[in-house]
Amino acid sequence: MVEPYSQSHLLSIRNLTKRYGELTAVNDVSLDIAPGEIFALLGVNGAGKTTMIGCITGLISRYEGEIRVAGYDVRTDYRVTRQLVGLVPQELNFDGFFPTAETVRYQGGYFGGRDLSRRTEHLLETFALKDKARANTRKLSGGMKRRLMVCKALMHEPALLFLDEPTAGVDVDLREELWAYIRKLRDSGTTIVLTTHYLEEAENLADRIGIVNRGRLLRVDTRESLMRHFGRRWIEVRLSAPATGELLSALEGLHPENPEPDRVRISFPERDHGAGGDGAPVRRLTQAIQGAGLEIETLDGGRSRLEDIFREVVHADS
Amino acid sequence: MNSNDHATELAFRPNASPADHNASVPSHSAAEAARRHISLVEQRALSNRGWRGTWMLFRRELARFMRVAGQTIVSPVLTTMLWFVVFGYSLGSRLEEIQGVPYVDFLVPGLIMLNLINNAFLNTGFSLFISKVHGSVVDILLTPLTPIQLIVGYIAASLLRAMIIGCLIWLVAGIMGASTLHNPAFTLLFMVLTSTAFALFGLTVAILAEDFDHINLFPAFLLMPLTFLGGVFYSIDMLPGPWDTLSLANPILYMVNGLRYGMTGVSDVPVGLGLLLVATSVAVFGAAAYYLLSTGKKLRE
Repeated sequence: MVEPYSQSHLLSIRNLTKRYGELTAVNDVSLDIAPGEIFALLGVNGAGKTTMIGCITGLISRYEGEIRVAGYDVRTDYRVTRQLVGLVPQELNFDGFFPTAETVRYQGGYFGGRDLSRRTEHLLETFALKDKARANTRKLSGGMKRRLMVCKALMHEPALLFLDEPTAGVDVDLREELWAYIRKLRDSGTTIVLTTHYLEEAENLADRIGIVNRGRLLRVDTRESLMRHFGRRWIEVRLSAPATGELLSALEGLHPENPEPDRVRISFPERDHGAGGDGAPVRRLTQAIQGAGLEIETLDGGRSRLEDIFREVVHADS
Repeated sequence: MNSNDHATELAFRPNASPADHNASVPSHSAAEAARRHISLVEQRALSNRGWRGTWMLFRRELARFMRVAGQTIVSPVLTTMLWFVVFGYSLGSRLEEIQGVPYVDFLVPGLIMLNLINNAFLNTGFSLFISKVHGSVVDILLTPLTPIQLIVGYIAASLLRAMIIGCLIWLVAGIMGASTLHNPAFTLLFMVLTSTAFALFGLTVAILAEDFDHINLFPAFLLMPLTFLGGVFYSIDMLPGPWDTLSLANPILYMVNGLRYGMTGVSDVPVGLGLLLVATSVAVFGAAAYYLLSTGKKLRE
């Protein structure tokens, strides 16, 4: 029986910088990933997500800084780290010489795997590629090629799986299936880092989110914490009669708006929501309405989405 | 591995229901499962010497050229036999012996050398380059194989292809009556060394190449002319000055003549020099390929 891994980090990046001539693709990034988490690197195309992953997985060997996987340096101890790490690249690739099953088998073989046929068959079945086992990889559709690449990345049972834009170009049904699969994979012991520019994807899957812009990691936090720090709530009421100026001035500090005479809208930071006492936004609103002798006819409300937060963080950077 | 087949136990079912979206941190059980899995893979990594993977790379390369054996094996052998029939028998019977060797016998090592050089170069060159074009080279770059192991995997397959072709031509020529068994051990050694050198050259070129032209450039504009001018069909004694002297600057001349010595016992140039030259080529191209693979130049950028 092997002793379980005892360090608190599986992946540890320190001051990673990657330059291509004048362009700094990755700029002084430090990041730790804990065993068992799903981490999403969120950023627009060209933000530096793929370059970051390239440095970790060994596709890029020249960079500044230090990257360790389970304590092993990815450049000097690459023979260990590459076995620990798996990658589903963003760009679809294929090996035109071989049928699907064979390319998957070979991929497991390069890592010294045994019992390759059984594992190949199992993965192809899992990813609904079994009836394409003998088809040349050239003939697979885009979605099938993507699944084939997932099979190849899983052949050596990596402990840390990188999915670079896993659902780019994948239709909605398949995306849901992939998400479900990623969650199951994590539950059974694989730590997952995915990159995406779909906010919905990060919001659905990730325990923590890292926002990347122009090569820099601007912020890393749990989704809830990002919401707490950057998120806003809004409440809109329709009143029994037009709002008075007195009512609006009683709401000072809550960004009162008066889009129509009988409508009032306030907004406030997420962290104020649920705070008790006289300063609580909802209490102030109801008191002001009562003070004006009005009634609430309808009530509407909501919170900002991750998308708004992302825009805010990235906007503050530029 | 059975106990650790976790990934495959999960079904990728259509319409699978999305799980809880709100998990904010990995649950305790997920973290525990991850820790166990990390340790297991770490142990596996530490005990993996990489030679099973090298063997798999060799098998993959072998399967690649055997899949297109019509082009990679049959075609070069058939073409060479045609050269052999036309030049060796129909014209060769009108030619005199060269250095006391019948023209047919004289021709065999030249034609074999032509094929060794071409096929050894093209097998590694084409295989690696096309995987760069299709993007599947990342599959290789992600593996824990060392530069030496990558070289061994690629070169072994290339060498095998060249030797299959070389030996088939040698065999058929023998059946057709050529006498080429002066020193078979030396012949084989020379064939192996030359093929290895050009397989390494092909690997180096494939790493550096940025488009198909670069791969085709060498066989068409360098290897083929140098081989033809390297005494495949003639002895340099038969050339007028200054071509006989100029020919001495052609490295392939020494390779053709080395093989010719092994098969017939005659050579235009000192055999030791030929042996030294192929051994040096193996070292130089081997060092170049190793340098490129270990620094990651062109491949890991």
